[in-house]
Amino acid sequence: MTARAPSLFTGAAQSSVLNLNRVCLLLVAVALLALIGADLAIYPVDPWQELARVGQGILMPAWQEPRVLLEALGQTVAFALLAVAIAAPLGLGLAMLFHWRAVRVLCAAVRSVHELFWGLIFMQLYGLSATTGLLAILVPFAGVFAKVFAEIFEQQSRDPGLTLAVGLNPVKRYVYTLISQSWPALLSYTRYRFECALRSSAILGFIGLPTLGFHLETAFKQGQYAEAGALLWAFVLLIACIRFWVRPKLIPLYLALSIWLLPETLGFSNGGYLWQFVGQDIWPSALREGDLGGALSWYGEMLSEQVWPGLVQTLLLTQIALVLTALVVLLIYPLATRSMAGPLLRWPGRFLLLVLRSTPEMILAFVFLLLFGPSGLPAVLALALHNGGLIAFLVANASDAERGSRSDRPDDPRGLVRYAYIETPRRFPAMLAFLFYRWEVILRESAIMGILGITTLGFYIDSAFEEIHYDRAFLLIAVTALLNVLVDSVSRRLRRHAHAEPARQQDMSCLKLE
Amino acid sequence: MSLIRRLLALSLLLLPALAHAETFVFTAIPDADESRLQQRFGKVADYLSAQLGVEVKYIPVKSYAAAITAFRNNQVQLAWFGGLSGVQARRLVPDSEALAQGYEDQFFKSYFIAHTSTGLEAADSLSDALKGKTFTFGSKGSTSGRLMPEFYLREQFGMAPEAVFERVGFSGDHSRTIAQVQSGAYQVGAVNYAVWETELAEGKIDTSKVKVIWTTPTYPDYQWTVRGDVDQHFGEGFKVKVREALLNMKDPDLLASFPRESFVPASNDDYGPIEATAKAIGLLDE
Amino acid sequence: MSEQHTLFQLSGQSLVYGDHRVLDNISLQIKAGEKVALVGPSGAGKTTLLHLLFQQRPEQTALQPQSGGLVDLLSVYQNIFIGALERVGTLPALWNLVRPLAAHRKAVAELVQTLGLEEKLWQSVDRLSGGQRQRVAIGRALYRQQPVFLGDEPVSSLDPLQARLLLEHLLHQHETAVVSLHNRQLALNHFDRIIVMRDGRICCDCPAGELSEEGLDAYYQQEPSPHPEPPPEDLQGWAMVKS
Repeated sequence: MTARAPSLFTGAAQSSVLNLNRVCLLLVAVALLALIGADLAIYPVDPWQELARVGQGILMPAWQEPRVLLEALGQTVAFALLAVAIAAPLGLGLAMLFHWRAVRVLCAAVRSVHELFWGLIFMQLYGLSATTGLLAILVPFAGVFAKVFAEIFEQQSRDPGLTLAVGLNPVKRYVYTLISQSWPALLSYTRYRFECALRSSAILGFIGLPTLGFHLETAFKQGQYAEAGALLWAFVLLIACIRFWVRPKLIPLYLALSIWLLPETLGFSNGGYLWQFVGQDIWPSALREGDLGGALSWYGEMLSEQVWPGLVQTLLLTQIALVLTALVVLLIYPLATRSMAGPLLRWPGRFLLLVLRSTPEMILAFVFLLLFGPSGLPAVLALALHNGGLIAFLVANASDAERGSRSDRPDDPRGLVRYAYIETPRRFPAMLAFLFYRWEVILRESAIMGILGITTLGFYIDSAFEEIHYDRAFLLIAVTALLNVLVDSVSRRLRRHAHAEPARQQDMSCLKLE
Repeated sequence: MSLIRRLLALSLLLLPALAHAETFVFTAIPDADESRLQQRFGKVADYLSAQLGVEVKYIPVKSYAAAITAFRNNQVQLAWFGGLSGVQARRLVPDSEALAQGYEDQFFKSYFIAHTSTGLEAADSLSDALKGKTFTFGSKGSTSGRLMPEFYLREQFGMAPEAVFERVGFSGDHSRTIAQVQSGAYQVGAVNYAVWETELAEGKIDTSKVKVIWTTPTYPDYQWTVRGDVDQHFGEGFKVKVREALLNMKDPDLLASFPRESFVPASNDDYGPIEATAKAIGLLDE
Repeated sequence: MSEQHTLFQLSGQSLVYGDHRVLDNISLQIKAGEKVALVGPSGAGKTTLLHLLFQQRPEQTALQPQSGGLVDLLSVYQNIFIGALERVGTLPALWNLVRPLAAHRKAVAELVQTLGLEEKLWQSVDRLSGGQRQRVAIGRALYRQQPVFLGDEPVSSLDPLQARLLLEHLLHQHETAVVSLHNRQLALNHFDRIIVMRDGRICCDCPAGELSEEGLDAYYQQEPSPHPEPPPEDLQGWAMVKS
């Protein structure tokens, strides 16, 4: 036994590196294969005139009516805040029931559908109303909260629970032990989710809710880039300053303000439409009439013409975007670290990361669409930059947190050598774990990119809604959700296989889902 | 988190139930320039309110689909639809009726436009040289940017657009179609003629880069459609009053929001050809 | 007191974790009213044995785990109040987090006097010293008001005087107690039966009067066990591989 000890040690080290390498190689190989099938053509375009106007607009933002801008900002915050205020307690409740399979399945199902699609669905039921906006955010968020809160509970010590009476009412048990034990983690995750909710809320404007996205979409569509610039800057500032304006004591005030700020629902009177939508609209007419043969041929046609091509394109773009995201992280995270960029020079780097992670990926994709023409390329680049910015931010934070700790040595190398020999090897497992957590997010976003005209699943979903074919929309959304659940489980397996877990639990929760 | 705070937030979900049903609500998406909708159509609402003697409000939407949904849900009772979206909406809401169309909408048309680098020239028909190019429609639910162009493409080439062109996209909007063909992102596009003429007059189009290569035959397009049950809710003869108010809208400032010269009477039958076309290319079920 | 009533019974019990035998063929019987001290070197299996006993009578037992099981962000009052949760309805229990219930306030205030923590009643326990935390954990066990006490080194962080007083109090308040200890003197002076464990086995189980401190020391001085005892959280996992 003693003779084997050293070899045991190196053996373990070798195998974890080997596993990491294998998983990375696998991902890169899949991405390279995906390059063959993916639609990434570059079209000879002449975008410079348009791009110059975009650049000018972003550098010189202008907004005619400050009231409209403030109103849109206010409503963006209102939707996000209220949705989180409802979704977090709801998710907490579901987390307490997470040992029930039905609850786990329900949560996986609701969070596998993107907020925009939820928005489109609820719009059929509640029209353009505050309810639609709130539900579109809070339904998927409740599922996410439930999963992450349940995971946070799992990491708590079981000892306090042992000192309680057995068979105690679970509410009392949770409130006095697990919830109290993990309160800081629950709060910090909720805070982070609020930032995500702001992004979702802004994006919901794209389908007509009166948030920032409403004006952003119009401004981009009409080519009013100075206004688009103003909106984007306002949004980046809003997110950058979260920690200054979100104060626990002010939250009741904000909630009251949010209720007041919610848009008035105009002339809504039809409540009986829900049943028609659930019972009829979302099923193909052949199925409703009991014509099984007709229904089968409908499904067959949908599968070959929309589901399969959309699914393949979504997956291909996802895999390429995933690997590209990793490259972006490796390239830009040192720019924001104290140890490599220096205490002062890291600020421009941090600013870059802030801009990347707060700009909605749809906007990035839109600009790239102008640059490269209509293909999957704009989507892949937008996804890689946005998610890369987000992960790089966490990786850089982890690096800064280790500064001055025990593992720091005065004779550590600097610059590029430090990057290659110290920082990157230390950060790599966590980075990979973050990437795995983002996988399903990237998938959801790839699907959503279809709304811009890239033929992922979202393209067909958007078309189905535009053409009032809710039966097609429902089938396609269901397929997208299933794909999402599948990727989530593959990611969990690979993560375990590579033993890639981030160092700080909080970071992991932060990245998990969006 | 106090209990009271949660209760407050939760009660929000009941808000729609509290909404006033007495307001007459309409929606409209103009074919160009979607900015400041609320300000521009707020004026139209004020005009209608004065003419009809009820409170009238305008609700902005982002797409034809959203407009149809709102119309179907009775969230709006009156809508300025495109030709196709009007047909779709009237199919979903029995007894709804086309009341008036723009003067220009009696003989609407679409332009096929091409980037000059393609070497395509204006002609009397769609030429075979279009094959293998990249092509963009406007929005997926548009009559002038999707339905009619697709119909004539299928008629000319006897196959789906995806088979004619190397790539088919949906720019989402007529202005974007022009911008994308002008930038070369797509080589050919189909666009609402009115939007083209307006942008040309405003000097937004660089004719050295993009030009019109074919004009479709005329067809009926945008129209006002009202729900069948408005008389029940707002009093006998309300529908007639709405039609009168629309036809009497003479203020150029109001008409500029659409933008139309004036409104003329229209009926559901005027849109028979549109419905037939939509069925022919599979956009509408039989 | 029903001397005949058997509370805990193990016969030939073994627990294996991986290739490590944590409990090896344990047989014992503990009757109501007995005060049992569990001694032996670290890693002998005392914690595991205590958790195994706990599983036999969870509904009448106050368990004090080695860690104390405190909830860091709650105050001393709340941490002790947790012991009374089963006696309080759900809504009052939730309200108690906002505004402590008057009756429990009074009772806990008296209890902390015994514990010498009256100054700290409203402090969150993460700011307390190890000894103070242990006294809070004792407070919770006492506030459970159960007939049986199972303590895993419940007084190990206290000064000798306090340790003796609180241990006496614990034993006085519970009809039956099984307590693991490192302090051999406390074990000999306050318990009527002593079980000595080593390497997962019981190597001595006899009345306290038959043992001396030197005799007990002998069990500790033998060669230490090669395997440290894993933490008790995974008890469920172990039970799965019960042999």
